[in-house]
Amino acid sequence: MTRVDSLARARSLDRPDTAYVVRFAGRDGAVDIEQTWAELARDTAWTAARLRELGLAQGHRALLNGSGFEGPWLRPLMDALRELGVTYGIAEAMGWDANRTMVFARELDLHAVIGLPKPVLERLGDDEALRALLGVTPVVLARPDAAALLRLAGIPAGVISFLGPTLAIECRQKHGAHVNAAEWSVGELDGAITIVPTVGSGRCAQLGETVLTVRGSVDGDPCPCGSADPRVTFDVDQ
Amino acid sequence: MVSSERYLEPELETIAPADLREHQEKRVVELVGYAYERSAFYRELWDAHGVHPRDIRSLEDFQERIPFMDKAMVRDYRARNRDPYGGMLCVAPEQVTSVSSTSGTTGDPEFFAEIWQDAPPLITAQLRDLWEVGLRPGDRVISPPGTFRNLMDYGYQALGAVVVAVDTWLGNMEEVVEAARKYRPAYLQLAYPLVTELVHLSATHDLREAFSSLKGVSFAGQPLSRRMRQIMQEDWGVEVFEYTSAADTGTAWECREHDGFHLWEDTVFAECVDTESLGPAAAGQTGELVATDLDNLAAPLIRYRSSDLVRLSRDRCGCGRTHGRMWLAGRRGDETIVRGRPVTLRDIEQAVEAQPETLGGVFQVVRTQREVDALHVRVGYDPAVTDDLGALDERLRKAVHGATGVEPVLELRTEEDLMKTVRSVAKFARVVSS
Repeated sequence: MTRVDSLARARSLDRPDTAYVVRFAGRDGAVDIEQTWAELARDTAWTAARLRELGLAQGHRALLNGSGFEGPWLRPLMDALRELGVTYGIAEAMGWDANRTMVFARELDLHAVIGLPKPVLERLGDDEALRALLGVTPVVLARPDAAALLRLAGIPAGVISFLGPTLAIECRQKHGAHVNAAEWSVGELDGAITIVPTVGSGRCAQLGETVLTVRGSVDGDPCPCGSADPRVTFDVDQ
Repeated sequence: MVSSERYLEPELETIAPADLREHQEKRVVELVGYAYERSAFYRELWDAHGVHPRDIRSLEDFQERIPFMDKAMVRDYRARNRDPYGGMLCVAPEQVTSVSSTSGTTGDPEFFAEIWQDAPPLITAQLRDLWEVGLRPGDRVISPPGTFRNLMDYGYQALGAVVVAVDTWLGNMEEVVEAARKYRPAYLQLAYPLVTELVHLSATHDLREAFSSLKGVSFAGQPLSRRMRQIMQEDWGVEVFEYTSAADTGTAWECREHDGFHLWEDTVFAECVDTESLGPAAAGQTGELVATDLDNLAAPLIRYRSSDLVRLSRDRCGCGRTHGRMWLAGRRGDETIVRGRPVTLRDIEQAVEAQPETLGGVFQVVRTQREVDALHVRVGYDPAVTDDLGALDERLRKAVHGATGVEPVLELRTEEDLMKTVRSVAKFARVVSS
């Protein structure tokens, strides 16, 4: 007679292979693809490895900023944090909810803030207030435009991007956000980032090379961190 | 005879009341010892009241001896001890899987420590309700906008549903309608701000056709007005399942009988308390919902005064379920006393919704204290259907006066202007200080 029993009953149900229909913005309009449970598991494993490299470990606390409709990107992060034994808190990614981010940051001795967006950042206060709130947080991964503002404020933030259908995460080197090369191939076209499933990944075969609405550049050289995953540097308006 | 297919957990949902009470008693007795040993907040509170777990051997002992607690007491403990969990945490902090929080519409959000495996606690407590709505493996669900009580996808997916992740926040309802046409979802969660946008969209979009695949739409965050429900059900053709908080221990949903909100009393021990005597409210009478978490090892609420005014019944529902149901009558403190006369939000709502220009029911009572000399009501109107603001002002004034007996001070703003003040994915603040 507990929630565990409800979940046990739910586990006995049939489950389709598809976990999500993922919608992302392409230059020519919205693009929808399906994401399977197997793909979600691979995304989680890759994300966990990135977060582990950033120093996240058992007993740490992290705050995630995200919206309910960002599940395909949030769930790999949440599952990765759970796998690492990191307790996560969650706050909306909307500017009017900045107080929630502030309360979590103030009260929970966070080791990481992940996914901080510009609308929230802009309501957290001036540079001095930002340094007081986030200056001692060991890992700050912000969305590209927010990361740029944080760096200007003297906070060495890394970049995390919900890049098309996948995550891009900067390592400690902070020379561009890594994309999982085993799953996705990224490129450039007229200053915009393109993405296509990597041959052999078995991922959404119907998706050809797609030009995203995101502008930036791609560096395919191995990173000093040791990863061969390509890195995306984002153009941001400040 | 109700088919067992209707229930996710037939034996539990239709459990004999005596068996349910036996389960509750066992859990409550265990819980009191567990919390006293592990929670500094409860130990301090109960010691101050001279209560020890050895005194609690039955539900009767529990109701007689264990003191009530409320959010203010937790906030006080939190401030005094610089403990983010307000002394409620019963496990080592590193054992906590996630921390969600209250909506935070009336102050700093307060934390809920959560421990889980497959899905977070709040959405897990909704699995039986989603099953009742009709959600089945392979169905599609459109993602909700908010995350403050954690990512709901885990629950939908636990039931085998596929989540269609499209932007469902304000300003994007046209995209949601298009996604509904394309993916034919079985379920969609809505909240007041989103319904207001859809009401406007219905002038140019055939929502009945777009939403024809939906087995149900849920609505939460604040009470759904009769007029809004009518629009959703009759104009859009969707079956609406309203749900509300089970005093922060979970949620309570309408079933297909739409006769009260079902509690899941294997997870919560619910009491209806007379707000004057603080004893049990008489059968059928409205009182305050007091809740005890029966399935929360992280930071259980124990005899928590919710401020929700409810009527509670344990009569078997037409759906066959035996768990208690409640009917919401409002929130303690929501009434405004205007020169001694009580005015409820419901009274104002009906007057506002009766005007075509303010059909969306977007209004706020502006007050700095509960007892006031004048009733200041801020109302949002739709400029597209408002020809004469003066005439609207006069009609509204008369309607509010007729419904409340009080001549209001009206402030008319465009609906869009007022919706910009939204500070929650679920709620539009009805009582504001400025």
